[in-house]
Amino acid sequence: MAKLKTHQIKEAWAGSFEALFHKDIDSVNQRLTEECEKVGKRFFRPFGTVNLAWPDWMEDLRRCHEHYRMAGIRIYPSYQTFDLDHPEFPQLLQEIAKRGLILQIVGDMEDSRNHHPIVSTRDVNMEALLDAAKKVPADKIQLLYWNHRVNNNLMTRIIRESRILFDTTRVETSGGLEKMIRGHLWNGNATPVPVERILFGSHAPYFPVEANLLKLIESPLTLAQATSIMNGNAQQLIKTVS
Amino acid sequence: MKLTPEPFAINPKNYGLPNLEELKAFRIWDSHYHGFYTGGDPIQQHWDMLYYVQRMGIERIISVDIGGTLQDPLDPKPHDQIQWDILEKDKKLISGIIPIDPGFPEESCAKMEKWIENGACIGIKYVGGNKRGITCDHPNNDTIIRYAKELNAAIYIHTWMKVGGIPRMPGGGNLAGESTPLHVAALARRFPDVQMICGHAGGEWELAAKAVRPFENVLFEFSGADPHSGSVDYAVNLLGADRIVWGGHGPSRAYATELSKVLDADLSHEERLKIFGKNYRRLTKNIFQQKGTEISL
Repeated sequence: MAKLKTHQIKEAWAGSFEALFHKDIDSVNQRLTEECEKVGKRFFRPFGTVNLAWPDWMEDLRRCHEHYRMAGIRIYPSYQTFDLDHPEFPQLLQEIAKRGLILQIVGDMEDSRNHHPIVSTRDVNMEALLDAAKKVPADKIQLLYWNHRVNNNLMTRIIRESRILFDTTRVETSGGLEKMIRGHLWNGNATPVPVERILFGSHAPYFPVEANLLKLIESPLTLAQATSIMNGNAQQLIKTVS
Repeated sequence: MKLTPEPFAINPKNYGLPNLEELKAFRIWDSHYHGFYTGGDPIQQHWDMLYYVQRMGIERIISVDIGGTLQDPLDPKPHDQIQWDILEKDKKLISGIIPIDPGFPEESCAKMEKWIENGACIGIKYVGGNKRGITCDHPNNDTIIRYAKELNAAIYIHTWMKVGGIPRMPGGGNLAGESTPLHVAALARRFPDVQMICGHAGGEWELAAKAVRPFENVLFEFSGADPHSGSVDYAVNLLGADRIVWGGHGPSRAYATELSKVLDADLSHEERLKIFGKNYRRLTKNIFQQKGTEISL
């Protein structure tokens, strides 16, 4: 928290690394909530998790919303051993929409070339997400560290056919944010990403906070664009949570 | 191409970041500049990249894509002459190291003669894989390293330890001829009086730093991998700040990413100066001097 505050971060939506491997998901969510309360009340906002591969995820979701008063949840399909074409995934989206929660979907936690050799994560088919998201009023879905899982063609479809949001964590190229917004990548043109759909993400403590803050400087953004990414878009999103 | 970078929209100081003047004061040398990387038009890409070089206050860039391509480093390409001219004309800003191929040592030495001995380049680069699957520790390399030593040329070795293979292990996913830090260690043991850079921190900095730790002639460079908090602290604790050099890896990596690795670390200002540029200047001072350029450390 001290590190985040040094860099003037005012609020952090926090997940738990335990969500990746734990089977007793509710205990993870409980510990996350308690830790956020204890260490950074009104600074850390807990984002619990559910795992579609484990039984009774609906109850875990209910407790996230009703018991822990979370604004949203974060899922990690590549670690949690379910795919986005899982038969219960549409039901998750419906429940999320019904409860007015934010759903964050993590593409990767780190570069797969760095994994410990005994860890073999799954592929994530984001096409399936798009198909499912079009069938429910899913306006609060955000992708985190998504870049290895979304190619240019799929990105175009996501931009045009959904309201899915993106984080900055792994936007990785010189002037990357501006290039996303303008749709001018180094290797050719792409569909421009509206700045309203980009939210700041630090990936701290795994990544230095400076990495994503400096992207706001490296790209020649306007003040309005920078402010939207830094907090404006997140504030708009969190306001909509019931 | 935009010529003069616009002012930053936000004040970096308000967010615990260095401003442009402070970035410039670090005297940052980007020892891993990929502006000429071939894919599209490497020359236009270089011109476009200079915008970000200026914007982030980089003092000098060292291109690692001079002559040929990374895939075919020994095959002359149409852009070679333009690169040659740029290196001659923009000496205050840009230097170059040439990719070589240890599968072809004689041809590699011929390229070194052309571009380093008789040209503006200051070093060689071992790229990430090659046609004959020759890593940097193979005896083929002895001719190349001896010649590099004679020229006072910088030696940059791309290293990774990609997880893969059966059974899965770090390095098991490497391409044929793609060196690991263990290969660098073997080469460094054979040439204790030759300095060389273990590039990309092996992509696996915890293991890589341990692999090269005993070899004082090995420098360590972090570019091209995700920024992991604590990685530079770890390397400095293990190797010392004098053995770390810095690279930007743009355009495929953001300067933001690479700068953050050093800014995040718990270092003194002097240690940051060393990592951002002083150590690379020390490494290449002699070859710059041979070419008539005095480098102030």
